[in-house]
Amino acid sequence: MRKHNEKVIPDIYIPDVGSEVETVNGQKYLVANDAMYTFYKRTKGEFSPFFLALRDDKKVLGCKCRECGLVRVPPFLTHCPDCNFAPTELVEIDQVGVMNSTPPITYFASSLFADMAPYGRGRVILKGADTALSVNLYTTTGILVPGIIERGTEVKIVFRDERIGEVSDIFCVPTSELSPEQVAKKGLLESEIDWEHPQEPDISDVSSKDKAVFKKAFAKMRSVINEMNGNARARKDIASWKRDILVKSRGGQFGIFINDGNITLEDRGPDSPDFVIVSQDLRTLLDGLTYRGAITDMIITKKIWISKNKEFITVFKLDRMARSLARSKRASIMNSKV
Amino acid sequence: MSKRVGIVGAAVTPFKGRWAEKTYYDLAQWATREAVKDAQIHINDVEGAFYGIYNDIFERTAIPEHAIHGLCGMQNKFGIRISTGGATGAYTISAAHAYLAAGRFKTALVLGVEKSTDCFDFSSMTATPEVIKSIGWSADSFFEQAIGWTAADSYAEVVLAYMDRYPNDLKPEITAKISAQLSEHVKTNPFAQRQFDQVTADEVMNSRLVVYPFKELEICVYTEGAAALIMAEEETALAISKNTGKPVVWITGVGEANEHSFVGRNHKDMSRIMSDHYAAHRAYEMAGIKDPTKSVQIVELHDAFVHQLEISMAEFGLVPLGKADSLIEDGLMTPGGKYVVNPCGGLIYCGHAVGASNIMSAWSAREELIRRGMKIALVHGTGSTIAQFTACLILENQ
Ligand SMILES: [Zn+2]
Repeated sequence: MRKHNEKVIPDIYIPDVGSEVETVNGQKYLVANDAMYTFYKRTKGEFSPFFLALRDDKKVLGCKCRECGLVRVPPFLTHCPDCNFAPTELVEIDQVGVMNSTPPITYFASSLFADMAPYGRGRVILKGADTALSVNLYTTTGILVPGIIERGTEVKIVFRDERIGEVSDIFCVPTSELSPEQVAKKGLLESEIDWEHPQEPDISDVSSKDKAVFKKAFAKMRSVINEMNGNARARKDIASWKRDILVKSRGGQFGIFINDGNITLEDRGPDSPDFVIVSQDLRTLLDGLTYRGAITDMIITKKIWISKNKEFITVFKLDRMARSLARSKRASIMNSKV
Repeated sequence: MSKRVGIVGAAVTPFKGRWAEKTYYDLAQWATREAVKDAQIHINDVEGAFYGIYNDIFERTAIPEHAIHGLCGMQNKFGIRISTGGATGAYTISAAHAYLAAGRFKTALVLGVEKSTDCFDFSSMTATPEVIKSIGWSADSFFEQAIGWTAADSYAEVVLAYMDRYPNDLKPEITAKISAQLSEHVKTNPFAQRQFDQVTADEVMNSRLVVYPFKELEICVYTEGAAALIMAEEETALAISKNTGKPVVWITGVGEANEHSFVGRNHKDMSRIMSDHYAAHRAYEMAGIKDPTKSVQIVELHDAFVHQLEISMAEFGLVPLGKADSLIEDGLMTPGGKYVVNPCGGLIYCGHAVGASNIMSAWSAREELIRRGMKIALVHGTGSTIAQFTACLILENQ
């Protein structure tokens, strides 16, 4: 989302003037770097009270038709089309509501929204409203996966601490993750919510079979990580990336350390990890690292859990490394055949 | 009394992921050249042009049709552009039909063209994120763009809402089978982007989740290309048909509906695609079709996502709502089944060159009606931000 003191178009998106020649079927074709850019002083007109109320008063406004009483949130219009354009009036709306339908979750966002992903985007019918407000959805419990927020889930509007008068000034979390005081509070801030205590899956019940499975998978894991560390392509996937990861599984735990191209596995995990991966059966994570299914898919389908939503990007990098390693191996097999 | 209107010529350019060799000017002219050739008429005999182009950002210009009008031989003639999101192509045919039926023209060119993958993201050095971003500008600009609206997540919203209501429909193994079957259909379409991209249901099942519940192999692909039709009013159509020896494929039904963009009481019902329902049933009514399950043989529908294909088939009244999986489970669209669905491979395998897509579908429906000697086809286009725009056409083989 956008913040103050940032350029409306960040520099990384802006190419230099230049061009290249592409050859197709022996013919040369010109391709030029380009952009179609237009800047705006965007007038918010009749929506100004809504956005100013979000930004300055931490309030949500809707509009109520004086004739049919329909309450639309956001306040889309000054006159009701259902009542031959009878006037509407602005009303303040409750900050708790229910999901109108199950929201989709975007895991692979375009560059514009990369810093928000993974994010849910759905429609909440706030108490007293008749229409749905589109909002982003998050959870405090760890990674956002299907099943946490569904049709009928009660959610609460949370305000960003820094607000700029856009709809991204707010988002929603399930009320079940908040205290009664927080649910009741109008204008609840993001910083007032505990984001540091995700709910880890319970893996305390360990059988001797689990321990044996872990031991075997762990040995393989060590050799895969070593291979990745020695593979130039895989190393490139984690260039200028640093993460200390604690991996937990039935039967044991360990650390994976990523540091600017290096990846190492240590028996002892980090004391203060950047995030935690829980793979109940370690073979699941091993499958991902050996390119037998994407780890991102395993997260979305709840076979693997991570403690921090935003670390999905690190998992995506691990998937890239698995692919790089698999491709290098395939290439070397091809070469040896030649 | 309005006149009967039919299709007497049709053509498509190859659909490709990228055309470095051609701008949309030449793609547009190419499809036009082939369409007049198919109808065996001179371009001077075409009285008006209807352009289907979805997105100015793709073409990197506003009024993208002005440049192609003269270049397609239409100087000093009527020209109008239609832009209704994904439904652009079907709506363009609908517009041309209305002018011809009203007697304004004897003949018309319907031309769809799109050049989508010039969009390029210089931060990842790939095209796709920028294509997604440019489609993202279609979202409501006050309340939805800023929170990460995308074409995929918006269709997922509709599909998830349908699944809230019908949790036992749209089973993953069924959507996978449909995708695999469409990949078989595309084999015989030499213009398709993915003619040789056959996949098994297992491969679909194992493909990456892009936005839950959509897997990579259940999603349409971005395409560049053009498609064109020559349409004519009854007398002219019959004369052209006599000359070419190809039957006229009449457009006997047209129906459209656009739902509300916002959701709630008196607004859009997320669990339905009511625009599909209204548009299809309006087209049936105009064509005099009482029971579509007994009449419709070929369906060329806008399959942005396999799940939406299933819901659309239910909204058309061809399978019951909540039992769209019967398309496969009861063999309704499997080979030899009651309905031939997307014989061209659909937008997932032939490709989605947005403004051209539904016109390509009409091209395919016409070809298939004639080739198979069948009588009635339904052509469909859906689009906009929550699948809330639809246009449907009934095509009848004379
Ligand atoms: Zn009213």
